[in-house]
Amino acid sequence: MKRNGPATRFLISLGIGAILLFASGHVDELRAYQGAQVAIYAIAIASIVLLTGFSGQISLGHGALMAVGGYAAVIAQIHWHLPYPLTFLIGGLAGALAGYVLGIAAARLRGPYLAGTTLALAVGLPSLANQFHILGGEQGLPFDVGTAPNWIGKEFTQYRWFFWVAVTAALAIFWLLRNLLSTRYGRRWRAVRSNPTAAALAGIDIAKAKVLAFTLSSAVAGLSGALFAMLLGLVAPLAFTLILSFTLVTGAVLAGVSNLGGSIVGALVLVAIPELSNVVATHLGGSDRVTANLPGVVTSVLLIVTVLLAPNGPKIPRRRK
Amino acid sequence: MATFFNTILVGISSGSIYALMSLSLVLVWRSTRVVNFAAAGQAVLSTYLGYEAMSRLHNYWLSLPIAVIAGALISALVESCVMRPLAKRSKGTAVESIAPVIATLGILGLIRGVAGLIWGNTFLQYTSPLSSKGFTIGHTTIPFSPLNAAIVIGAAIVLAIFAAIFRFTRLGLALRAASFQPEISRLSGIRVDQIRTIGWAFAGAAGALAGALVTPTAYLSPNSLDLLLVSGFVAAVIGGLESLIGAVVGGLVLGVGFAFILQYIGTQVTFSAAFIILIIVLFIRPQGIFGRGGSREA
Repeated sequence: MKRNGPATRFLISLGIGAILLFASGHVDELRAYQGAQVAIYAIAIASIVLLTGFSGQISLGHGALMAVGGYAAVIAQIHWHLPYPLTFLIGGLAGALAGYVLGIAAARLRGPYLAGTTLALAVGLPSLANQFHILGGEQGLPFDVGTAPNWIGKEFTQYRWFFWVAVTAALAIFWLLRNLLSTRYGRRWRAVRSNPTAAALAGIDIAKAKVLAFTLSSAVAGLSGALFAMLLGLVAPLAFTLILSFTLVTGAVLAGVSNLGGSIVGALVLVAIPELSNVVATHLGGSDRVTANLPGVVTSVLLIVTVLLAPNGPKIPRRRK
Repeated sequence: MATFFNTILVGISSGSIYALMSLSLVLVWRSTRVVNFAAAGQAVLSTYLGYEAMSRLHNYWLSLPIAVIAGALISALVESCVMRPLAKRSKGTAVESIAPVIATLGILGLIRGVAGLIWGNTFLQYTSPLSSKGFTIGHTTIPFSPLNAAIVIGAAIVLAIFAAIFRFTRLGLALRAASFQPEISRLSGIRVDQIRTIGWAFAGAAGALAGALVTPTAYLSPNSLDLLLVSGFVAAVIGGLESLIGAVVGGLVLGVGFAFILQYIGTQVTFSAAFIILIIVLFIRPQGIFGRGGSREA
């Protein structure tokens, strides 16, 4: 595989961005919404790939970290009146902070303990919103990013504007992560994942590397949570359910869990499945029951089959030396 | 003072359900080194089957064993069709420790989805003939109800049967040996694969009973047992994840702890309380009450 430098990657990202944004002008609102959804899922899945694929930790609670980011962004907007790009950064920072605390606990835990603890977080954290008045309870809080500024063009629709924002954020994040993974931090994480003992003998502080990976992954999850809140127009406990956390893990597995670029494929699949199974459900008579549950069934079957047939994910030929 | 004792009684009742779920997780953990997140799904499915049985037979007490047997079969099926092939395939790969977790999540999602397809996502009532209104002693009505009493007795009977099987039968010996030293057990003629499936079946039965006992106190829906799974996991960690007695004690401790939190702080913290208790346990005594020393590495 040819290795590109940061500058080349930057140009590639710009190119992809330009194509996508041009394309967004030629689709309807639903597709623009779904495009934004793909970009946001891709960022969230990338945070799992970073954590699981590159540092060997697992998290079933990233939906909760997205909630942290989303709520932080909304609160920053409501109480500090920050402009929205800054609220996204606040979301990322809040995610990082929560992830740092959790990461300290996580570095001491492995496998089942980590999975169980993060699961408990996913169940417990969103419901905290019901207890604090400032978090808006069951109804949540509104989040208004506003419409596109005038200099972009007048005929810009709402979801097309969200698509722009989400794609820009996604490209920036992927560019940053890709570069980061080829620095010594990336190499350390891979060493820790592949063989912790050898990594420790080589002088790598394993706990530190793991906490750093968890913090960074949570920051990315927090940012994606803020973007998610933008797309939904609000934050509420029901938006960040256990299902969301599971969906992210599913996306990461479908993507090939140590393949950053695969996150985009994973995100595409996650958005496409409900769409496709809707078509199937309508053909089958389209009762509410089928429409509500078929996507879950299809995703789960896909998850089980992927993990059985290709535990490393469908499309990574593991590089051999 | 009366409130204090009542709280303990109520805690023991919900604690025995946590103990059953915790036991289910510990049995699976001991036999295959997997935390079975699908346990919530398996229990929901067996409870739905119990619900079906009851709507035909009109008898809760007959539907209970049906749910338990169904739970055992579902669990054995999950082990032999998904988990065993997966363990063989992922052995030695980078995802060996993560793949089973993901597979159990997949099964959880699948069962939920299928249950939703068949029974819908509405709340169903799976009721027991016992009253959930508290006993009346003298002139005061305490929160502890006949239903609570049945839960405690049912759980205690099953735990006693499990303990007897593990301690006094050849099957119990094989189950313990296969989880302790699989290779040596295999050399001494134990069919480790089959024994593991049986271990899963026992676990499924315990989970199914937990589901069938807890559901009459609330409602039945495809994800109604999620919190039970989390509580069961926390209870298992309190007990050390390895020990069957630990699982039971962990369940009771958690149940009583929850009851006090609900009594003195309020119902709104239920969901977060499990997480906070888990974090406290992991920081203070990560090996659990009954766990051996050493680090918590899988």
